[in-house]
Amino acid sequence: MTRWFEDIVIDEPFPLGSHTFSAEEIIRFGRAYDPQYFHTDPDLAKHSHFGGLIASGWHTVSVGHRKMVDALFAEEERLRGLGQEPGVSGPSPGVNSMDFKAPVRPGDTVTYQLVVTDKRRSNSIPGWGLLFNRLTATNQHGDLVYEADLVGFSKLRDYRMPWRLTLLLALTRVPVLGKLIRRGS
Amino acid sequence: MTNPVTKDRRHFEDLSPGEVIDLGKTQVSREMITTFAGEFDPLPFHLDEDAAKASLLGGLASSGWQTGALSLRMLVDNFLSKIASCGGLGFRNLKWKNPVMVGDIIGGTVTIAELRRSSSHPQWGIVTLDFDMRNQHGKPVLTMRLANLVECRDPGAPA
Repeated sequence: MTRWFEDIVIDEPFPLGSHTFSAEEIIRFGRAYDPQYFHTDPDLAKHSHFGGLIASGWHTVSVGHRKMVDALFAEEERLRGLGQEPGVSGPSPGVNSMDFKAPVRPGDTVTYQLVVTDKRRSNSIPGWGLLFNRLTATNQHGDLVYEADLVGFSKLRDYRMPWRLTLLLALTRVPVLGKLIRRGS
Repeated sequence: MTNPVTKDRRHFEDLSPGEVIDLGKTQVSREMITTFAGEFDPLPFHLDEDAAKASLLGGLASSGWQTGALSLRMLVDNFLSKIASCGGLGFRNLKWKNPVMVGDIIGGTVTIAELRRSSSHPQWGIVTLDFDMRNQHGKPVLTMRLANLVECRDPGAPA
């Protein structure tokens, strides 16, 4: 969420919107990244235990990521509209767990939701906080499609850099000296 | 009930723990990065060269989800399309270790970490796979442990 670390509310559901999967896009993603017969060939897929074409799990997850990015941009706009400066989110170091629960078939509508379940200040990166995010995807019948625990970074609003670190960072901008400092660290 | 699509492929019984699968290599082009990002991860440092240069990454880098998707593609080509795979269960401990930049060549191996029969579905086994993806400099770019279902040749055999 493009909110400052301090403003992120634990356990507050953050809706990310929905996506309806067409057969055409399921096959297109399958051919590009996961060419197994139940993701690419509706006739052969009848022989699988799914009984028909289903989306690659990686496809439903990639769409979920897109939904999250769009929601973050929208939140940023909303905050600017209120005259507030939005927060800054950082790159994600990884995903602790991802569990695929139900297949996604052509025509299914998947609804995504993000909840921050916990947060703490980063020990290794000054000025940043760690967010523990739970992403869930459910289909139009209310069945869970997948659930995931992801880690993210969010910048601290109230952080003040210690003067030693400020000095060091300033010195790294001096050409020759900076090279030596960076090499040393 | 035999599945005509997978009947001649390796089944759960044919796999062994410790087996290492070479995933080959894939070069990641600018077009691949911007196409994936345009659809799934439209952040400036995946789409725009100038914005990418100004970012922490210092240049155009692939979406982490694309690095994963390309690793999956290499797994399908070299392993999952040759066994009686019947779907993924998910993954654990996915780590993006280093960014994948334009022109980078990624490749690596997958090792069978674990094999066990499904307790609820005797016709299936679960294969657990450890990914070790690296760039052309040998630096790690992605690791994860993925779980996939595989059809058993003899579902009646004791687990």
